[in-house]
Amino acid sequence: MSFVFSEVPPTSSVRRQKVRDFLHSVSLDMSEDVEIFVVAKEDDRIVACGGLSGRVLKNIALDESLRGEGLALSLMSELLNVAYREGRQDLFLFTKPDYQEVFESCGFKYIEQSKHQVILLENSYNIDLYKKHLRKYKHTGAVVGSIVMNCNPFTLGHRYLVEQACEHSDWVHLFVVKEDASFFKFEDRLRLIQEGLADIKNLTIHEGSDYIISKATFPTYFIKDKAQIDSIYTELDLNIFRNQLAPQLGITHRYVGNEPLCAVTNEYNQQMKRLLAAPSEFPPIEVVELGRIEYGGEPISASRVRTLMQENRLEEIIPLVPPTTYALIEKMMSKEEA
Amino acid sequence: MSKKLETAHAGTLESSDAFVRVIPVAAKGIEIELESSVEELYGDAIRTLVLETAKAMKIEGVKLIVQDKGALDYVIKARVQTAILRALGEAEPDWSVL
Repeated sequence: MSFVFSEVPPTSSVRRQKVRDFLHSVSLDMSEDVEIFVVAKEDDRIVACGGLSGRVLKNIALDESLRGEGLALSLMSELLNVAYREGRQDLFLFTKPDYQEVFESCGFKYIEQSKHQVILLENSYNIDLYKKHLRKYKHTGAVVGSIVMNCNPFTLGHRYLVEQACEHSDWVHLFVVKEDASFFKFEDRLRLIQEGLADIKNLTIHEGSDYIISKATFPTYFIKDKAQIDSIYTELDLNIFRNQLAPQLGITHRYVGNEPLCAVTNEYNQQMKRLLAAPSEFPPIEVVELGRIEYGGEPISASRVRTLMQENRLEEIIPLVPPTTYALIEKMMSKEEA
Repeated sequence: MSKKLETAHAGTLESSDAFVRVIPVAAKGIEIELESSVEELYGDAIRTLVLETAKAMKIEGVKLIVQDKGALDYVIKARVQTAILRALGEAEPDWSVL
């Protein structure tokens, strides 16, 4: 049996629709963020496909009747060809736990699973390198705290949270979300955090990675119930945190800001409490919700600062952020006007 | 003598073939990462073959990742050579060293 392989670029909507139909036939939803699909055809009929989205391989599916290692390996060869040609070297792959072995034989290594429905693999040993890197920053103590923050941008609200965490802990590890998907660039966010917290002694500021709240770890496609999408993603992220990263640093606590307003984030916080403390072979991590600091009767938040920026109400930002953050905002706004 | 390399690859993951990736690294020398369906029997022989092939082409500062699916040794050698030629951006090999 021979198959004909071809690529479906994002511009080809008719052919993409055919891929979507094929994925539906094997009970998968097409992930709209896939840039390029590789499809295998037999007699003009799609029998297998796989997609590339950034550095993530997903929507990999084979026709039930042809499921055997042969076609899977041919498909993966073609898909890797495309990924490497596009300069994506370190790849991630989402699939169902049943297919772990197939993809391991293509050079991928298991990282973590979520709800026994999805597994994440990578084709490098980067998570091992990252774990080794983290171990260098280990501090022993009865309470070793952790915070994961985007800080888009860094406000006095963030500072208050970190201060509280550091007061309650012997040491605190702060992870800055690395993904450049926010209004403020990663390097700016990181620098503002470093400057805004320079006086706090029992704190390590870490650059985030692909393994903490990143785009590279957002599976959506084989989940039929849309309400589950977030919880599968968050569970995967939390499993990696608890099972892989936290043990390297001896983390005992994770601090989050409470979320009285946003139902989605509040649900995430509640899920975090459950998962990080659930019985497991790994040590439990206690989640502590901290109250938010207010100014003018409203919580100080990054989104409030961004709204004020859009409305060009610069003076009102001054009491919400440290001088270092304000300096950058002023610079950005004056550039815009010029 | 060492030459400037780009990342490159050659081959497939199909049975009796090998998939070879060439990745430039900061460290000197030639690092080999092998996964083979016949690792227990031929792992050492394949590693030696890959290393000798790379050495003959006078490259270093490189990592070679080889996924072998039970390929015969001349197949592995050809895939390694092709991947390295692509990494060097050369169309024609120096036949005398092959």
